[in-house]
Amino acid sequence: MTPPAAGSRTGLFRTVRKHPAGALKARTVALVGNPNCGKTTLFNALTGLRQRVGNYPGVTVEKKEGRLALQDGIQCTLIDLPGTYSLLASAPDEQIATDILLGRASHTARPDLVVCVVDACNIERSLYLVSQLLDRSVPLVIALNMVDAAERNGITVRLRVLERELGVRVVPTVASKRRGVEELKRVIGQGAGAAGKSRQWRLPEPVQRECDELIGLLDEHHQLKGPDAFDEAAALLATDTADLERMVRYDPVLRDHVRRDHQRLEFLGVDRRSVFVEARYQWIRTLCAEAVSQEPRNGDTLTHRIDRIVTHRVWGIVIFAGIMALLFQSIFTWAALPMAWIHDGFDALSLLLTRIIPPGDLRNLLVRGALGGVAAVVTFLPQIILLFLFIGVLEDSGYMARAAFIMDRVMGRVGLHGKSFIPLLSSFACAIPGIMATRTIENSKDRLATMLVAPLMSCSARLPVYTLLIAAFIPARSVLGIFTAAGLTLLSMYGLGLFAALGMAWLFKKTFLKSSVPVFLMELPEYKIPSIRSVLVQVAERAYSFLHRAGTIILGASILLWFLASYPRMDGALPAERLQHSYAGLAGRFIEPVIRPLGFDWKVGIGLVSSLLQREMFVSTMGTIYNIDNANDEGGQASLRDRMNSDRDPATGLPTFTALTAVCLMVYYVLAMQCLSTVAVMRRETNSWRWPAFQIAYMSALAYGVTFVVYRAGLWLGLGG
Amino acid sequence: MTMTNVQPHTTLANAPLGRAVRITRLHHPRKEIATRLRELGMCENALIRCVLRGNGNMICEVQNMRIGLDNRLAGSIMVTAPEEAGTA
Repeated sequence: MTPPAAGSRTGLFRTVRKHPAGALKARTVALVGNPNCGKTTLFNALTGLRQRVGNYPGVTVEKKEGRLALQDGIQCTLIDLPGTYSLLASAPDEQIATDILLGRASHTARPDLVVCVVDACNIERSLYLVSQLLDRSVPLVIALNMVDAAERNGITVRLRVLERELGVRVVPTVASKRRGVEELKRVIGQGAGAAGKSRQWRLPEPVQRECDELIGLLDEHHQLKGPDAFDEAAALLATDTADLERMVRYDPVLRDHVRRDHQRLEFLGVDRRSVFVEARYQWIRTLCAEAVSQEPRNGDTLTHRIDRIVTHRVWGIVIFAGIMALLFQSIFTWAALPMAWIHDGFDALSLLLTRIIPPGDLRNLLVRGALGGVAAVVTFLPQIILLFLFIGVLEDSGYMARAAFIMDRVMGRVGLHGKSFIPLLSSFACAIPGIMATRTIENSKDRLATMLVAPLMSCSARLPVYTLLIAAFIPARSVLGIFTAAGLTLLSMYGLGLFAALGMAWLFKKTFLKSSVPVFLMELPEYKIPSIRSVLVQVAERAYSFLHRAGTIILGASILLWFLASYPRMDGALPAERLQHSYAGLAGRFIEPVIRPLGFDWKVGIGLVSSLLQREMFVSTMGTIYNIDNANDEGGQASLRDRMNSDRDPATGLPTFTALTAVCLMVYYVLAMQCLSTVAVMRRETNSWRWPAFQIAYMSALAYGVTFVVYRAGLWLGLGG
Repeated sequence: MTMTNVQPHTTLANAPLGRAVRITRLHHPRKEIATRLRELGMCENALIRCVLRGNGNMICEVQNMRIGLDNRLAGSIMVTAPEEAGTA
């Protein structure tokens, strides 16, 4: 069969041109492909920053949508579906992809066109999914991605042969370099998606015969037809005979028939469990023998040479620890200059507002309330960007999968799967995507244990709290000539979170989440130079999200906090007295007896309460409180850390904060569950309030207990001064 | 088609490093694991090569793809003796 000519099949998008305003939104194109095939890089190359990240309704699988601008001003919606190896996969995120592709999802319309991203270095495996899509008559275009890497590996793909045999258009691309992207857009715009040739692979004759009979019975008893009936028949033939008893949804006649099918096939020596996959692969191998050729490899590949070092039992751990140390050290040092610029910028803005607005409540509200609170948080933007940049580079380069491989033994010792490492590492950025990433863990108890401990990993919202306290109270000392005390303290906080997470996971897996030993099975992608564009797009998206929160929730909360910390008015009183008798001061003093054993006073109490909204609110709260506390200052904002450092208890004259208090506060923030968004995601993910409630309870108890011990030990060692 | 007329000789966990072997049978007790192995191309009759071994886990090459798996899982994959398999 000749591949379909451009626009020949359905005239897709033709109506769009006639009715651009209304019909465009209805047109959707879906990107699908195996994990690590460069799908997200292609999505970023196609949509740029015109993308929106959300969740599919009712589940926490991330939904990425973007606007795809085609030629002649045509636009459509592009959906980046979760990576999947198969349409019959059972993992929840893969199920979402299958449901959308087959038009079974109530929340997302069936795509008008599907672009299947095929890794040119690994065509055989990718064609498995392609063949399933062809069987389902999905309008398809293939993006043969990473053709440059294939060329380097001596792989030649005969595009015409592929197009002829599959019956769909095949567009070579290098998404990371935007090569072939315009051609792909052109093909999409022409509506060149064809349903292709279905069921080209052949089952052995006895299996096909049993399958046909079963399809007839499924039609007769359950009104199943076409590909749905075939997939159901295949699943029934492959299932364990013992399981048939429990499949009460099927008619007893049909179950009896399947039982006899099993016996007949086993008599013939057919392995029912593998015959369908193998038949498909057999066809793929025949196709690839004609369409793909590979030069014999001379020596080891670059990936193999790198793997020999980075997955080495000793050097692998050393390299991993070095990368982590570099990450945290750079967050602290490289971000310093841009943070100072942002701080200076807010200072200048504050000074400007002070000059143009006359003294009074409005000026205080804007300068000390809104600007003070938001500035305290926005200053940390460079560190957030660096953290996500590192994570993006590690993921895109292929190292992240090796980190999971190396960490499998560590994870295995506490009863977790090596795959748990990736959700835990993602939780360094934010526990929400971390909890979402646990969906790749097949075992439900392993998954629950990972979800329960993920918020113990220090997320980016804690970073502003740590860096503020470290900068203010940890002496700037060099350690071993290359590290600083500040960087190592920061690393210790992240280490404490990791240690606590592993310890609690071990406890849970030894007690109420006992399960069989986890199995480690994971694809390790080829190493590659990360796509700068793709990484930057993801960083920009996270940075925007951070700024959006600062401009909405934190701004609103800062204004509210300013009000609570400024009223009721006490004209003539000292700033410290005014704050102490304000509404916020009353709330802080109300909880002070509970937190006093941890070394915290009522001002910290206000910070802890406001942190329930978002952890970084502690910093903006301190920003607001210390601005109000220093209300006599005219213009400009003195450094928050200087103000905290010089703050003294009016009654005793002793410093409010010491290095010990700062460490205790950081320990408390490492271990406490203070994020309502994470609670909501846990509720949604576990479909119950039981686990989020348990998570809050155990983390609060852990935070209080450990902080108490650290504080008492610090006092005993004479560090409280 | 899998006519189970080839007797398994050893497991992937014991396969020699760097030599291609042919998978003869997957007998992992968890069905979903066996399914995932097959979907990744580690199905019966496929050629596979163990390229690196670490602390309790290993890296294999199948269809130009590198897969990390633990030794217990590798122990559930039966393969023919290397001399019967050719090169991957």
